[in-house]
Amino acid sequence: MQEKATYRAISYKTIAPYLQAGENRNSKFISYAGLGLGVLLLLCCLQMFVNINHLLKEKSIRKDGFDFISVTKSITNENMGSDNRFTEADVAELKSQSFITDVSPLISNQFRAKASAGSVIPFSTDLFLESVKDDFLDTLPASFSWKEGQLEVPIIFSADFLEMYNVFAPAQGLPQISASSISSVNIVLECYSLFGVQKFQGRIVAVSDRINSILVPESFLTWANKNYGNVTKVPAARVYLKTIDANNPELLKFIEEKNYHVNKDRTKFGRVKQILQAVVSGLAGFAILVILLAMLLFSFYLRLMIEKSKTNLQLLVTLGFSPGWLTKTVTRTRIPVYIAIILFALAITAILQFLFQYYVFNNRPELSPFLHWGVVVVGILLLALCVFVTNKLVRGLLYKL
Amino acid sequence: MQLILEHIIPSYLEKEKVADSEIWEKKLEFSKGEKIQIVASSGRGKTSLVHFLYGLRNDYSGKIIFNNNEISKLGADALSSMRSREISIIFQDLRLFPEHTTEQNITVKRDLLPYHTAEPYTKMAERLGIKGKLNQPSKNCSYGEQQRTAIIRALQQPFDLLLMDEPFSNLDEVNRIKAMELINEEVAARQATVLLFDLKQIEYFKPDRILYL
Repeated sequence: MQEKATYRAISYKTIAPYLQAGENRNSKFISYAGLGLGVLLLLCCLQMFVNINHLLKEKSIRKDGFDFISVTKSITNENMGSDNRFTEADVAELKSQSFITDVSPLISNQFRAKASAGSVIPFSTDLFLESVKDDFLDTLPASFSWKEGQLEVPIIFSADFLEMYNVFAPAQGLPQISASSISSVNIVLECYSLFGVQKFQGRIVAVSDRINSILVPESFLTWANKNYGNVTKVPAARVYLKTIDANNPELLKFIEEKNYHVNKDRTKFGRVKQILQAVVSGLAGFAILVILLAMLLFSFYLRLMIEKSKTNLQLLVTLGFSPGWLTKTVTRTRIPVYIAIILFALAITAILQFLFQYYVFNNRPELSPFLHWGVVVVGILLLALCVFVTNKLVRGLLYKL
Repeated sequence: MQLILEHIIPSYLEKEKVADSEIWEKKLEFSKGEKIQIVASSGRGKTSLVHFLYGLRNDYSGKIIFNNNEISKLGADALSSMRSREISIIFQDLRLFPEHTTEQNITVKRDLLPYHTAEPYTKMAERLGIKGKLNQPSKNCSYGEQQRTAIIRALQQPFDLLLMDEPFSNLDEVNRIKAMELINEEVAARQATVLLFDLKQIEYFKPDRILYL
């Protein structure tokens, strides 16, 4: 009537009747719902954080965690007749402040410079040229360099100037130019000295959001000032500050005391971004708290289930069911639920992102309607975390029996 | 199968009970297919020894070596493996799931690791007179019926050693003999060793050795 032991796979079904005594549907449902909400909140915050970073990247005045601000001396009725440029002592004083990481004076041209755009754009104007340390530039193409003898001078053009040009160009019968096509405009740069004029070929290699100026390489301007203006040391009318936080009260107080002037829009913009990031980070922190609470609730539910089924589980272990197998089996039954929760949260986040892009951003291309890959990765990591925590918890409880 | 007891003494047992025992503090070896009856009056540590052998308790000195493994040194998962493949047991306190049916109580062992390819437990239940109780929760069965459930459960798995702690205490003479016959058949099929613990000698067990605890 018998013979030979045969091994067959045992499953959760085998032990389910002995565990169901400890099941509490309400606490299970509440903990799953809490977990779902927490995950959803966290993923939404993360996606929002990515959106904000992406949207403000273009206009960001921050680079590598620093703010860059332009400082000039305030021109008042009292001092408008005198030299309001920064002396070497002023620059040294700025550099010595703990809240200022670095200072770069903007050197300006000390000779007459004129630009024309050739026959395509019949446009000619006197202009000012400036140069600043490379480190202070937000966009620094490799071609932005100049050596003595080089006829082509690379130029970084202010985005604001370009915008201004495009506003007035139609009225003057001039064509409007996009940021991407500006590099193809041939500019003739004329430098005047007491002895004559020399022509250079100017080429716009980048458009800068940060510095409202027409920038040329420092090497060119130093050489040109010496050769055409006969000046070697040029006091700067404005300086650029590199600082951790442009909104540092100490910095603002110092600037006020020295009667310097800063571009407030720029610092405000940095502040808005900081506030937005802080709010979203705060929300993400709150989401993590919700997840922790949900996990805690779920751990209570598991403890309750195991406590209520303790006698049955003890007997199962006594009869030969291994705690290791029981742990794996109980954990495995939770995995599909966790997957469903994470997928649900990802789906809702994806829908919200799509609606946000479509309705709030009117389907504009600068924001993707799809989830950022990082959000999906975080979802997968959360799934792994849930499985890991459940396994640890059940294992801890079962091996204690 | 190899079972060796090396100078076992429960940490709580009085010295005089150890001194006149044929098991405590002695070195004993049991071989494959042997039928041993261990006779002990109350309070001599009979159930304790059963629990030591099954790995439920470790509060003793000495060593119990089963199939080259020292039982007190086995981890929880190794013990589970041993209990599902090598050692089966009929507890004195039965240890059934009271809320579950007689059938569930029997098949839980079979689900874990069955010895029989067919399903003879219904025939076994019929032979021991509890077939009609298969669908009843154990808590609604008499103690005698529950004892027969525990006996049938112990016979569902493969084993080299069967431990029985007063397995017939609540059975009448007829049912005792029926149960013993069933156990003997199953033990013979597995060529297993049996240790039967009881208060007095049981003639129809026909042991190869009798040891007084």
